[in-house]
Amino acid sequence: MLAEFGYGVLMVSFIVALYSVGAAIFGVRNKSDAVIESARRAMLLTFPLISLSAATLIYLLVNNHYEVAFVYEVTSRSMPTYLKVTAWWGGQAGSLVFWSWLLSAFASAVTLRKWDRDREFLPWVIVVTAITLAFFLGMVVFYENPFARYWQDINGQLITRIDGQLLTSVFTPVIGATTFIPDDGQGLNPLLRHPGMVIHPPMLYLGFVSFVIPYAFAIAALVTGRTDDRWIRLTRRWSLWAWLFLSFGLVLGGRWAYDVLGWGGYWGWDPVEIAAFMPWLTGTAFLHSVMIQEKRGLLKHWNMVLVILTYALVIFGTFLTRSGVLSSVHAFAQSAIGPLFFAFIGITFITSISLLIWRWPELRGETEMKSMLSREALFLLNNLLFMSVLVVCFWGVIFPLISELATGAKVTVGPPFYERATAPLFAALMFLMGIAPLSAWGHSTLNTLGRAIWKSALAALFLTVVLFAVYTKNLIALIAFFLIALVLFVTMQEFWRATRARQRAQDENFFTALARLIGRSRRRYGGYIIHISMMLMAIGILGIEIFQTETQGTVAVGESLDISGYTVEYKELANWDVPVRGNPQVNYTRAAVSIFKGGVYLGELYPRKDYYYDSQQNMTIPGNRSTLRDDLYVLLVDWQPISANGATFKIYVNPLVNWLWIGSLLFLFGVIIAAWPDKDPEQEPVRVNKRARQMSAAD
Amino acid sequence: MTETTNTAPESRATSAGKRGVPAWVQIIVWGLLIALLAIVFVGLRRAQQGTVQPGDKIPDFTLPLFSGYEYEGRSEVKLSDFRGKVVVLNFWASWCKPCEQEAAELQEAWQFYEPDGKVVFLGADYVDTEPEARVYLKKFGITFANGPDMGTKISQMFRIKGVPETYFIDQNGVLQYVKVGPFSSVDEIKSIIDGLLK
Repeated sequence: MLAEFGYGVLMVSFIVALYSVGAAIFGVRNKSDAVIESARRAMLLTFPLISLSAATLIYLLVNNHYEVAFVYEVTSRSMPTYLKVTAWWGGQAGSLVFWSWLLSAFASAVTLRKWDRDREFLPWVIVVTAITLAFFLGMVVFYENPFARYWQDINGQLITRIDGQLLTSVFTPVIGATTFIPDDGQGLNPLLRHPGMVIHPPMLYLGFVSFVIPYAFAIAALVTGRTDDRWIRLTRRWSLWAWLFLSFGLVLGGRWAYDVLGWGGYWGWDPVEIAAFMPWLTGTAFLHSVMIQEKRGLLKHWNMVLVILTYALVIFGTFLTRSGVLSSVHAFAQSAIGPLFFAFIGITFITSISLLIWRWPELRGETEMKSMLSREALFLLNNLLFMSVLVVCFWGVIFPLISELATGAKVTVGPPFYERATAPLFAALMFLMGIAPLSAWGHSTLNTLGRAIWKSALAALFLTVVLFAVYTKNLIALIAFFLIALVLFVTMQEFWRATRARQRAQDENFFTALARLIGRSRRRYGGYIIHISMMLMAIGILGIEIFQTETQGTVAVGESLDISGYTVEYKELANWDVPVRGNPQVNYTRAAVSIFKGGVYLGELYPRKDYYYDSQQNMTIPGNRSTLRDDLYVLLVDWQPISANGATFKIYVNPLVNWLWIGSLLFLFGVIIAAWPDKDPEQEPVRVNKRARQMSAAD
Repeated sequence: MTETTNTAPESRATSAGKRGVPAWVQIIVWGLLIALLAIVFVGLRRAQQGTVQPGDKIPDFTLPLFSGYEYEGRSEVKLSDFRGKVVVLNFWASWCKPCEQEAAELQEAWQFYEPDGKVVFLGADYVDTEPEARVYLKKFGITFANGPDMGTKISQMFRIKGVPETYFIDQNGVLQYVKVGPFSSVDEIKSIIDGLLK
């Protein structure tokens, strides 16, 4: 009964979304505000509808309704309730519902705003978001149904399809058939039972989905021909929040990989990681280049291209992961949604490019670039670098398909390709991050830049020499450390200079001045905080990429392994079941090892291997001793069960990796500062806005 | 403002003396888009064909072996050499991180079955260079027969989608089980093989 209800509601939402598209277009055609209003209300209605359907699905998940195939595949009786809820996005069908739900939430939020001054955008924003929503709902309704159930005929025989697979459907497939209810489900993949995994997918989806909104406004601007800065101003915060969610989703994914996957890394250049990284690259470029349009009226074409590209990459990335075209640890199982998705991508790309070409002449810049060292020129360079990284990533992802087409062999490119190709680009980006904050809008010369930078450069050079003397002789690492130090010093000097100036002018104490300075131009100083956080993350990435050391060995109790100054001594092994409500759910095998450094006892670590009975899968939980200097990361690879005295360990020393996580927290802080709403600037009259723009351009 | 929607933008643009996108740029853009869609379409078609299915008889293939990783002294093996034995064919690469998750498990399973001689483990190194492959094999202490999948001939035959993937071929050369992605335990490998040994 519930399954039919949930499915029915989804079907209704799908129809309502389609209606919304139709009504919006009809309303524009006939200049009927009433019909457009109806489209808006239909859009708003999708949110409660999908919420209802999602609530039904969650009810089924939590209450062990294993006759529903999706529930059977992702939950089991022994799972705690919160994991049963989060299993919602643990499989293809559920995650598509989740995605639709988020999209309708965002679309509703955006249609709820006051549209007085932007009425002409409204129908087109509705059209774009509702088409996207209808597409995702359509995939759920027609291909990946989370409410489909198992059936048995009158004789209790399971009903199968022609190919022998179990048949699933919402409604009775044959007269007299009854639902088949398995005793217990398969349970969520243990890898997905990690807290990081509980929030990693929603964060990424939030990022993906919220990029739909800037895209919808961009398309609305193209269709209506209102191609001034308005659409950019309206979507600035959406882009920032979208970027925050996407960035945080990526970092959480890295943290999850580090904690759970047990290969001592955080990023593997896996196609799906890249699929999420590509919209991040264009999104980051976009966040920078919109500033040039706002301040200088330049790069209007480019911003359109970037926002369309970001949306396209979001959809394209989702397609590659979910259709089975590319293989990866993240890929969902073989799925039938490929062709539909392909059609949607084709239509989206063709429509967007046609609109862009049509409006191209109206998007000319208002001024020209005067100086190659002006801030806008440096921003442009920054954009080109981000695009280069994108090209590398895109090529790496698409190359297997091309090579398969050309030679018949699918050649996958591995991490070394990406690392070698992107490292110089990232270095150049860091250098730009160091000099761009010092350059002025409109005009800068080598002289002005040189005067602003020399102190920081000297300090960075000094630090690099110190590092050369005491830490490393690795040339690449030293160059990277120099660039990191340069950016850090330049950015901190900017804070210092502006705070001192304000302190003198306003007669405030240092901290008040700093706080008010940041409060007054949040976007700028939020951005600088993000730069600092990126550099901290770069320290972590550098540490693990260049200085990681590893060893593997089998030792008996009392024996030890040495690595990078650490001694890891195997002490004992224990094995026990962890019961949930009387049933053993997980079997833990835990080794205890003592850690010494230079003969000094530092403590014990407990690397584990967990065996999940329901899904029959293992999970390797590292024992990790984390300091700001390095992480000692110990994995229990294997052991002899009978005598229990020999065990194989894999040990990594990951220098500086903690800075990656510290940086990501600071990053969060920086984005929140930059994105925190003002007293709704969108509501202010245009003239005030213009004056404010002139003022901010003057600083 | 809604009026602007209805004015012909081309005429407005020309009257303002502005130029549209040059034809050659448009041709390139559309050409690239069509090429991209075509590539993805072909990829999608292949993806939907899927891998070789269990129950398929596997055609014979030849795997050259790295020196030091020969099979009973032979530097090249054929699938047909192993009639009567269960063949575990593992595709891997030294650059493949998920492969590392299962490397130790595979080796342990091999050591378990090696004495009986009823099971053969073959490692096919996919798109790799020999020095790097050797480092990998040494790192995980692998001793079963391993060799490069020259020209990706074998992986194409199996239409693998990535590494690691493992194929279990029974005593009659019929594929019985496919594992996509790394094994999570030795028990998982053993349970599949034991099912085939019966």
